[in-house]
Amino acid sequence: MGFGVTTMKDQISRLENEAKEELARADSFETIESFRVAYLGKKGKLTELFKQLGTVSAEEKKSVGAELNRLKQWLEEAVEKGKGNVPQANAFRETFDETLPGVQPPKGSIHILQQTIQEISAIFNRMGFEIVEGPEIETEFHNFTALNIPLDHPSRDAFDTFYTPQGQLLRSQTSTVQIRVMKDRKPPLRIIAPGRVYRPDTVDASHSFMFHQIEGLMVDGSVTFSDLKGVLHLFLRELFGAQTKIRFRPHFFPFTEPSVEVDIQWGKGWLEILGAGSVDPNVFQEVGYDKAVTKGFAFGLGVERIAMLCHGINDIRHFYENDLRFLRQF
Amino acid sequence: MKISTNWLKDFVTLAPPFARIAERLTLAGLEVKKCEALTQPADTLFEIEITSNRPDWLSHWGVAREIAAVENISLKNPVVDPDTGRTPPPGWKIHIKDAAGCPYYTGVLIEGITENKTPDFIVNRLLACGIRSINLVVDITNYVLLEVGQPLHAFDADLIQGKEILVRKPKQGEKFTVINGAQIELKADDLVIADSERAVALAGVMGGKDSEINERTRNVFLESAFFNPGRIRKTSRAHQLSSESSYRFERRVDPEAVDVGRSRAVSLIQKYGKPRHISAVIKAGEKPQLEVKTIHLRSEDVTQVLGVEVKPSQIALILTRLGLQVKQHGSEAPAVSNRERGGSWTVGIPSYRPDLTRAIDLVEEIARIYGFENIPETLPARPPFSVSENPRLSLERKVRYFLSGAGLSETVTFSLVSEDGLDPKQDLQQAVQIVNPLQHGLHWMRPTLVTSLLNVIKKNVNAGADSIQIFEIANIYGAPPASKHPVEERTCAIALYGKKAAQTWLDAARAVTFYDLKGYVEAILASAGCQELCVAKIEKSYFAGQSAEAIRLWQTPLAFLGEVSGDLLKKWDLKEPVYYAEISLENLVQHACRTPTFKEWPRYPAIERDLSLVVKEAVKSGDLMREIQGMGQGLIREVALFDLFRGKRVPEGCKNLAFRVVYQSPERTLVSEDVQQLHEKIAQTLVQKYQASFQS
Repeated sequence: MGFGVTTMKDQISRLENEAKEELARADSFETIESFRVAYLGKKGKLTELFKQLGTVSAEEKKSVGAELNRLKQWLEEAVEKGKGNVPQANAFRETFDETLPGVQPPKGSIHILQQTIQEISAIFNRMGFEIVEGPEIETEFHNFTALNIPLDHPSRDAFDTFYTPQGQLLRSQTSTVQIRVMKDRKPPLRIIAPGRVYRPDTVDASHSFMFHQIEGLMVDGSVTFSDLKGVLHLFLRELFGAQTKIRFRPHFFPFTEPSVEVDIQWGKGWLEILGAGSVDPNVFQEVGYDKAVTKGFAFGLGVERIAMLCHGINDIRHFYENDLRFLRQF
Repeated sequence: MKISTNWLKDFVTLAPPFARIAERLTLAGLEVKKCEALTQPADTLFEIEITSNRPDWLSHWGVAREIAAVENISLKNPVVDPDTGRTPPPGWKIHIKDAAGCPYYTGVLIEGITENKTPDFIVNRLLACGIRSINLVVDITNYVLLEVGQPLHAFDADLIQGKEILVRKPKQGEKFTVINGAQIELKADDLVIADSERAVALAGVMGGKDSEINERTRNVFLESAFFNPGRIRKTSRAHQLSSESSYRFERRVDPEAVDVGRSRAVSLIQKYGKPRHISAVIKAGEKPQLEVKTIHLRSEDVTQVLGVEVKPSQIALILTRLGLQVKQHGSEAPAVSNRERGGSWTVGIPSYRPDLTRAIDLVEEIARIYGFENIPETLPARPPFSVSENPRLSLERKVRYFLSGAGLSETVTFSLVSEDGLDPKQDLQQAVQIVNPLQHGLHWMRPTLVTSLLNVIKKNVNAGADSIQIFEIANIYGAPPASKHPVEERTCAIALYGKKAAQTWLDAARAVTFYDLKGYVEAILASAGCQELCVAKIEKSYFAGQSAEAIRLWQTPLAFLGEVSGDLLKKWDLKEPVYYAEISLENLVQHACRTPTFKEWPRYPAIERDLSLVVKEAVKSGDLMREIQGMGQGLIREVALFDLFRGKRVPEGCKNLAFRVVYQSPERTLVSEDVQQLHEKIAQTLVQKYQASFQS
């Protein structure tokens, strides 16, 4: 039965070589696992050899058995080691569902008007403008007189106001803040003033009796209209992108001279985006500055209008209705 | 206003495309909103929008004048025959009784008009501008209004009693029937045109029913006058009556156009109405003169404001193009091309430009025509200077980020509220009122945001939301008797309703509670660095009794919070409780600690012990915690309430409070026995002092 023994030993060593080669190619958990089944499984190649142990003569059984056990141990260790080396599949293997949704943290939101104010304020902040605020309930002086808006003149039509029984009013523009700051401080000044303003307009898709404005003011001895153009163009490029095309169009505001409206190119046409101008000398006189040597420019923009443009919001009422389906989009 | 380019061609040569002219005008400040082509008859219409300082643009002639300036081309004047009649109308008189209201009044009597057909070109031009043809005389007055900007009024001369025209204030209680049939009671400051018996027109605003031109009219008294702009505006607003005439008079018409307009109308009536006789013009008063007739301008004025050097010759040219009389100072010799520098002028202002009173006004004119697009863009020099940040704004920003990060949505609601849900005594006594509210009842500047946020909750509930957690940072307003001007206080309001979080496949849903709200408030106060806060029960009209509290730091109120009362829930038809808080950011920023200092933590190990007590409901957990801390001999780092329950084995009227006490010494390692002893002592003291008992 010498042949039988030789054959067994040959088979064992062939199997070992074969296993080594195959194992070297196994590079994933799956291939190592199928390798294990192929050799060590119930019908595995090594298991088959063990089954043949009964056919080996009694005297050789011991040495063949030892050989088989050595190979088995080696295979088991190799499989174990191999599994450790390939990308691991863990206990989630079966239960892990990669399509299950994550548990969301609570979703809150900052109002889009506030975000817009912050964005615009930040741009001017970077240009050295300080953010200031003023009261919403104002006096005739700050809202009209000091701004060179004559009483009983058609230029006041644009500025209808809400009044209190004591004769105070709700500011109809944030320009009131420039008056307060100028009365309070000396030039040079660079300020912007965001806030709520009020005009008794009937509410519709593009009007509201309360809305938000940002007023800007720069004052020193030498600032010019060309500085105004430079600063506003820079601002609009920061806000709308470097490619933004703008145009300056003469306009009329009682508190600036020359006055300008700034349009940005929007699609095929132009859209008015803000009003501005060199501060009218009468305004400097009202706040006690020397109008002969003080120069400055001021501008004002509507926050709602810019937010509507930037985000494609089609109705101003969305801002104040506060539907969570609206608020959470931003 | 609509401007017909066909009509403009009577005064200037227009080279198409018209869109180019429209753009030029827009970029010179005369905004053409729309440029619209018409057929039958072919015409192009400009829809123009005019700023209140430029009433001289409210006519075709005025717009043509601007085109002439912008395009640097010549301008023709309206065709006017010399005033035809030589004899004044016999017996007719004009008396100005109110010279302040009407400085200048003129009229012509036109008798025996034989034709009443308006020529097609007038009908078409009026129609293009949106005015229907009525009859020849009225059409001609409208035509002249749109052509030269002078409003005229034609009376049926036979309906004027006593051949007398009086310009006067109304008599006490005098009434007047407007052309549309409505009767109005005249006000003391109105200005009327009257005959010897009654008012026949509300001067400059609207004619009267009794004297209007009709089909049978053959004799016409044609009025052309200058009325005081402020007075016309006042009357027009007081009676809510406005017309093309009042629109122009209140902006001020050109005094010279009073004569031009009248003569133009007379010429047209003569040509197309074929009257039997036209009288000489009768006049009263004098044309008002400009207050400022000349302005001194230096070229530095232009450079300093615009930041660009415009050549003196160009300045003079632009001003001349605008129809101003320019007289150069100094040497009469023409300046030499490039070397020219400096220059000063006396600039004469025409009667139609009262808006030009100062050098700066001329600078604007120069900039307009020079072209804003030709002024370079520069950035101002910026020496380093401090741009400080308002600490309240930075606090606001932190609060905003914190709350939105915690899952709340920021709202923006109107500052004006109605009294719905507010108590007249408690909430509105010191509130600021608005006398001319726009909408039903929104006449309070809100003293609290509670009703605004209830509105938002309701709206979202109706839209199907079941978890509504919102906040708003806005002012509340009050008029305390002591202060002269109303007070505004920046406030952060928070409102919670419904589910705290929606159910997920991992976690169950849970309803919000008062303590969620309190957690937000405490976290905001703590992150602002406020410690040692006092809490006290309070009452507010909108909170349910016994379930609201205020948080103070020393004497400064920082916040209050509570559960909204059942009455309000019912009023807003809300099924679940609403928890509401207000934090005074104004006060908080005064106490906010902006620079936290580092504190070393103890290096020795801590030992935790629990203490579970059953006490009467009246015993406050805060008192127990303070008591425990107080007895700790400096060895207690922290006391936390980790459980609270009632029922089961806890007797009625009692609650079980479970505290976790963390013992830790800054100086040594504590031994279990030391802690045990101290812990038992604390427990015994609480049992005695608060009639507490232990519960396993």
